[in-house]
Amino acid sequence: MKLAGGKTDVDFCPYLDDAAKAILGATTRPPIRLVKLGIGERSFAVGEEFVLYRHEKTFYHPPGILFKIADTQTLDEIRTVTTRVRDESFTRVGADLRFNGIAIDNTSGSPDTFARAVETVEKTADLPLVLMARDPAALSAALMHCGTYRPLIHAATQENYKEFCALAKHHGCPLVIKGNNIDKLAQLAKDCTAIGVQDLLLDLSPESLQAFIVRSTNIRQLAITRAAPDLGYPVFLDASIMEMQDAAIALGIAKYASVIISTPLSPATARAALTLRQNIYTDPQKPIQMNPGLYRVGNPGKDAPVLMTVNFSLTFFTLQGYLESTRVPCFMLIVDTEGLSVLTAVAAGKLSEMLVKESITKFAVEDEVSHRKLIIPGYASPLSGRIEEATGWKVMVGPRDAAEIGDFLNQEWKQ
Amino acid sequence: MTDVELAIKNGELQLKTAITTIQGTFSYDDTAYHLPISYALTGIPVHDRNTSLDVFSRTKDNPLVASEIILAKKTAQDGKEESPLTGFIGDSTIRKLGYSLVDGSILGLALIVGSPESTGSAAAICRELQEKYMLTFLAGPVIPSLSSAGVKLGLEYRLIPLGSNTLYGVHFVDIIARVAMMFGGVTPGDMHRLLTYAAERAKAIVIVLPGLSDEEIALVDSMRVLGFPILSLGDYKKGAWISSTPENIVRNGMELKGIRVNVTAIPIPMGCSPAFEGKSIRKEEMYVEFGGGRSPAFELLRMKNPGEIKDGQVTVIGPEIDSMKEGSANPLAIIIEVAGKTMKKDYEPVLERRIHNFVNYGEGSWHVAQRDLIWVRLSKEAVAKGVKIEHLGKLLASKFRMDFPQLLDAVSVTLITDNEKVLAAKNEAERIYDERDARIKGMHDGDVNTYYSCTLCQTFAPNHVCVITPERPALCGAISWLDGKIAYEISPAGANQPIEKGAVINALNGEFDGVNRFVKKASHGEIDRCSLYSVMEYPMTCCGCFECIALMLPEVNGIMVVNREFKGLTPSGMSFSTLAGTIGGGAQTPGFAGISKGYILSDRFLQGEGGIERLVWMPAQLKEELKPRLIKKFEDRGKTDLFDKIADETKAATIEDLMVYLDEVKHPALTMKPLV
Amino acid sequence: MGIDVNFGWSSTIVKVILGATKSNGGTRRRSYQIGGGTTLPFLETTPDSSGPLIAFEICDDLQNWSPIVRNYCRDVVNDCGEWAHAADSVYGADMIRLYLTSTRQRNFSDIASVGKTVESVLSKTSLPLIIEGSNEPTIDSEVFLKCGEAGEGERLLLGTAEAGRYRSIAAAAMAYNHSVIAQSPIDVNLAKQLNILLKEIGVARDHIIIDPYTGSLGYGFEYSYSAMERIRFAALKGDSDLAMPIICSAIDSLTVKEVRDAEPALQDNIAVQWEFTTGLAAAAAGAEIICVRHPRTIPLLRKAFVSLKSEKIVAGGQ
Repeated sequence: MKLAGGKTDVDFCPYLDDAAKAILGATTRPPIRLVKLGIGERSFAVGEEFVLYRHEKTFYHPPGILFKIADTQTLDEIRTVTTRVRDESFTRVGADLRFNGIAIDNTSGSPDTFARAVETVEKTADLPLVLMARDPAALSAALMHCGTYRPLIHAATQENYKEFCALAKHHGCPLVIKGNNIDKLAQLAKDCTAIGVQDLLLDLSPESLQAFIVRSTNIRQLAITRAAPDLGYPVFLDASIMEMQDAAIALGIAKYASVIISTPLSPATARAALTLRQNIYTDPQKPIQMNPGLYRVGNPGKDAPVLMTVNFSLTFFTLQGYLESTRVPCFMLIVDTEGLSVLTAVAAGKLSEMLVKESITKFAVEDEVSHRKLIIPGYASPLSGRIEEATGWKVMVGPRDAAEIGDFLNQEWKQ
Repeated sequence: MTDVELAIKNGELQLKTAITTIQGTFSYDDTAYHLPISYALTGIPVHDRNTSLDVFSRTKDNPLVASEIILAKKTAQDGKEESPLTGFIGDSTIRKLGYSLVDGSILGLALIVGSPESTGSAAAICRELQEKYMLTFLAGPVIPSLSSAGVKLGLEYRLIPLGSNTLYGVHFVDIIARVAMMFGGVTPGDMHRLLTYAAERAKAIVIVLPGLSDEEIALVDSMRVLGFPILSLGDYKKGAWISSTPENIVRNGMELKGIRVNVTAIPIPMGCSPAFEGKSIRKEEMYVEFGGGRSPAFELLRMKNPGEIKDGQVTVIGPEIDSMKEGSANPLAIIIEVAGKTMKKDYEPVLERRIHNFVNYGEGSWHVAQRDLIWVRLSKEAVAKGVKIEHLGKLLASKFRMDFPQLLDAVSVTLITDNEKVLAAKNEAERIYDERDARIKGMHDGDVNTYYSCTLCQTFAPNHVCVITPERPALCGAISWLDGKIAYEISPAGANQPIEKGAVINALNGEFDGVNRFVKKASHGEIDRCSLYSVMEYPMTCCGCFECIALMLPEVNGIMVVNREFKGLTPSGMSFSTLAGTIGGGAQTPGFAGISKGYILSDRFLQGEGGIERLVWMPAQLKEELKPRLIKKFEDRGKTDLFDKIADETKAATIEDLMVYLDEVKHPALTMKPLV
Repeated sequence: MGIDVNFGWSSTIVKVILGATKSNGGTRRRSYQIGGGTTLPFLETTPDSSGPLIAFEICDDLQNWSPIVRNYCRDVVNDCGEWAHAADSVYGADMIRLYLTSTRQRNFSDIASVGKTVESVLSKTSLPLIIEGSNEPTIDSEVFLKCGEAGEGERLLLGTAEAGRYRSIAAAAMAYNHSVIAQSPIDVNLAKQLNILLKEIGVARDHIIIDPYTGSLGYGFEYSYSAMERIRFAALKGDSDLAMPIICSAIDSLTVKEVRDAEPALQDNIAVQWEFTTGLAAAAAGAEIICVRHPRTIPLLRKAFVSLKSEKIVAGGQ
C-alpha cells in the first residue's frame, strides 16, 4: 500500500524479481527523486514530492537555504558566516528553524584558493556544502577536503557534463545540472544518469523571477503527472544572483525550489524566510500543536482570569494575541485535544469535561489562583454544565470569536 | 356599491380619450429615466404627443402608461404642487430609497389612495405600516384627512404624500420602475424583466379606500400586472381586488407579498443564548420538571396552512407555573405549529429537533431527548425572575422565526399542562411519530431520482464528496438523505446539492452516470466513477470522519468492518487509525470504504459483493451494539444463523485464526464468488 | 519544443474595474482592471491586467493601529486626506484603502463625519480607493449609504461583506456602482456561498473581490495561502462563483510577536519583511490586491512585481 502511495521504493521489497521491479518501479517511484545532501546531523534530504499544491496532500521536504561565500573573502569572514549557520536558530511553535549549509563559490578561479576556502569551512563546522565552480580542476581540489561529506556540485552543463559527472560519480555526490531550456535539461539529465549519476538537481537559470516561476511550475507539473520523468528532480535556485534576493527566496520557497542559495541574510529577512518555509511546508492535515499546559499572559496573580482552550497552535496564538492586546494579565489553560480546533474537538468528543478536569490537576491550576472560575470558548458551551460537575469550578462561557475576548473580560470579569 | 369591472372598462375608455388630446412637451427634472414607466417598458423616452401616442399603442393602450403621460403633462402645465406634496421625486432620493429596500431597512412599499371613512382608521393603518418598516406613499383625499388628524407626513416618517389626487399615485409605480432599472439590472425596454422584477422583488401593495372614480379605478387596477395585490376597504365588488377590514388590511397585504418582519428580540425575563446550551439544572436547582419518566410529556411540531395560525401566538392550556408546587413533576405537551410558503411536511422532524437546542438556550431552562421521551426543567432562579410556562412558548416562537426567516412566515406555540389533555394529545403525537418512521424506513433508493451530495468535509479533504441516498447515509453518520434534501431546500447554495441519478450503468454495484458526472465535477476531476454499493470497484471516497471502515480480506474472500472506537489490531494486520490514515483524504481505494454504522444495516451494504453474507468480522462491541437490528435483518433474509458466524476479536484476532474460524462455522463467504 | 504542459484549464478569472477616470464619470487619474487571468499567477502575462496592485492602508482613528506606522509616517497620520496624499505622492501606492475605524468606537453616531472624511480623501488623492466601513450592524446602513454616495461615480471598492452582514454594503454597491469585498473565514465553500448570496441580491459578478481572510506569516498564513490557491484552481476549472480576483490583507502583520518584541533597531525592518513576504507569497497564490501598512513595503513589492511581469516567458526558454 505504501508502494501504491509512492511512499517507498520498489527496491526494498525482497520478493520481487527484477522484471517486476522495473515495471513497478517506473510507476511507483516518487515523481521527484529524493536527494540527500551532506552527512551527519545537519544533512538533509529534498525531493520526493507528489503534488503541485500543498493542499492536495502536503509538501514533504522543506528546501535547504544555504549561505554563499566567495573564495575571495578573508578566512575570518568565511569562518563568521559558517559559524552563524552552525549556531543560529530561531524557535517557533516548538521547532528550531535554522539555515542549512554553506555554498562556496570559486570566484577566484583558482583551485588552491577554492580548496582553502572549502577547508576553512570544513574546519569550522560540519555542514552540507555546495561547491560552485566552472573548472573541474578547482572542484577536484575542493573535493579533496570534503568529498566524503556528500557536497552538492554546481553545476554541469551540456559542455562540461562528462567531467563533472565523473567527479560526482567518483565521490558519490549529488550534481546540479544547469540550463534554461527544459527540453535540453531533460536530455542533459538523461545523459548524466546514463553515466551513472542519479542524484541530480535542476538549476533553471532564471533570468527573472517570472522565468523561475514558469519553469519551476512546469517542471513540477510535468514530473508529478509523469509526463516527463527525465525532469523528476528537485529544483536548485541561486537567489543571490537574482535581481531581488529576498523576493527570490520567498518565491523559491513557495514555488518548489529545494535548494536555495543566498548571501547571508539580514535578521529581518532571515526570520521572515524561515517562517515562510515553516508555514508552506507544514502538513495541512496535521495541525501544529502546542504543548498542553498553563501559559501566562503578562504577570497574572491569584485573582487573574483563567481561560481554557485547545492546543491547536492557531487557536493558541490567536487567543494569545488578543489577550495580550487587552493588557489583562491572565492564564491560558491549554488542554490536549491533539491539535484539533475547538469546534472539531467538541464535535469529536476530544474536548471533554474529563480532559479539563485532568488538565486542571496536571497543571496545578488550583495552586495558581484563589478563585474557581473557568472561562471556556463559546463553541464549547455544550460542555459547560458537565465541566462544572466534573471539576467543581464555575464555568463562564466566553465569546465564540476570540476577537471579542477583550470586551468579554471588561464586561464579565469583575474581581 | 362599485362594480370594479365596469369601472375599469369606463375608466380605460376615458384615459384613451384623454391621451388623444395631449399637446406640447413635458419632462421631469432630476431624472435620467424620462417618463420612467414607459421608458422601462418600451425603452422610448416620452416627451411629446408623438412619442406619447407611440408608447400608448405599443403597450396596448395601457392605463398606467396613459396616466403617467397625463400626469407629466399636467405637471408641466400647472407646475409642481406645494410642499409637503412631493410630486415627482428625483433620482438621487430614489437611489437612497432603493438602497434601503436592498439593505432591508425598509421591508416593502405601500400605496394608499381613496377617501377614508374615518380619519381614525386611516391613521391606524399608517401607524401599523410604519411599525412594520414599510414605506408608505399617499395620493388623494387620504392626505388632508391624515393631516387633519395630526399625523406627521414626510420622508422621515415614512409617509410620503405624493399629490392631491389619485392620479399622483402613478409616481408610486415610476419609483418602482426606476428601482428596477437602477438595482434590478432591468434594461429600459425589457418589459418582461421589469414585470418579473416588480412581481418578485418589489414588495409592494396597494390599499384602496372608498370613493375612487372610474378612471382612478382603472389606473389602480392596472397595477395588478406588476404583481401588486390590491386590497380594498369599501364597497368594491367584482374584479380581482381583495376585500379586507381596517384591522387586517396591512397584515393581509404583507402576507400576500411574503413580507415578513424579522424577529430580533425575545420578550421573556430570562437570558437566551447558545452560551447557556451546556448548562444543566440539577435537582436542587430546579423549580419544576416535566417528563423524564416522572410525568407524561412530549413535543411535536406540525405544519399548518398559512392563515390557519397567528404568528407569535402562545397559548397555555392548564395550570401555569404559579399553581405548580416547587420540586414537582408535571405533565407537559409542547406543540409548535408553523406555516410558510416554502415549508414542507418533510421538514417537520428536522425543525422539531431544534426544540431541544432552543429550550437549552434559555438561561433557566433545560431539555433532553426528543419526542415523547423529553425531560424538561425550569430553574428556581428563573421562576423567581418571573419566568412562566408561557415564556417558554415565547422563546420557542421567537427562536423558530429568528432561525428560519425565509422558511417560516408564522409560528404559534401551544403548551398543555393539564394531565388529561396531555395524555389525549400524546396518543395523537405517537401516531404521527410512527407515521414518520414508517415513511423513512420504507424509502428505497429506487424510489427517487435525486440523491444529495455533501461537501462539508472538503476543508479537510478537498476532493471528497459524499453521495447520500435513502439507503446509504453519509459516512459520518450524521446526515441522511432527507437531511440532505431539506438542507438543500433551506440553503440552496449550501454544502448539500442535488444529484440527478441518471441512467444505470451497473445496478448491482450502484453505478449511475449522473452520479459519476457529479462526482467527477465535485472532485475537480480526480474521481471518474463511483459505485454506491461496492467496496471492491470504484468505492466512494472518504474524508476522515467515517464511523467505520469496511475492507476486504482476500484470504477469506470476505469483508470485515472495524469502527473508530476499536483500538486493537484487526485481522488485516492494521488498526483503525492505520487504516484511516491510508484511505482518508479524498482517496478512492478499491477494497476499502469509509462508512457509517447505520449503513451496515442497509440492504445495499455490500450489495456489489453479493450481500451481507460477505461480512466475516467486526469488533465485539460493535456487534453487540447492532445485534438486535442485525439479527432481524438476517432473519428477513432467511439467514438466522449468520450472526454467530461473524467473527470478532474474541473469536479470531488474526487472519490465520479467522481462516480457521470461518472454516469451522462454514461461513458463506468462503464459497461465494472470489473477490479478487 | 517537445514538452508541453497542460493544466486543463477551461475558464478565466472575471475582470473587475477599480477606479473611474474622467471619461468614465469619475475623478481618478487611473483606472485599473484586474482579473482576466487564464492560468496560474505569473505563468503568462495578461497584458491588460494591472495587477497585482499595492494598496496602502490608512485609517481615521489610530487607536488600534500599530505604533510602528505612526512612528514612521509621523504627523501626517492625523489627517486622513494628508495621509492619503502622502501615500499617493510619497509612498507610491497603487491604491489607498481607507479604514473608517472611527465608526468602530462604541456608540458611534456621527455619520456626517464619515461623508466628510471620504470626500476629503477623494479630493486629496486621485488614486482609486478602497473604503472600509463600519463593522457594527446597527449603523451599517447609514455608514455604507454615506460612503457609497460620497464616492458616487468613482468605482470604489467597498469593504467588507460577510455571510451574516452584506445587505447594506451590497445596496451601496448597487446604488452607486461600486464593487464589494466579500470575506469568508478561510473556507472555500463559504467564500462560494457568499458570492452566491451577493449574486442573488443583485451584485454583478464583475463587482466582487474575494477576501479569503489572510492570517499573518506564522499565524495561519499557510491556511490563507492554500485557500487562495484552491479558489484560483476552482475558478480556472470552471467554477464561476469563485472566479473573482482575490485581495490579501494580513492586518495583524505589524502586531505579531516577532514584530512587537523585536529590538527597536530591527523593528521596522522586520515589520517590512513580514508584510513583504506575506504579500509576495499571496501574489504567487493568486492575490491581485496586496494591502500593506508600512510605507517601505511598497517599493519592495513593486520591484518584485516588475520582475514577475516581463514579456511572456516560453517554458522552454531561449
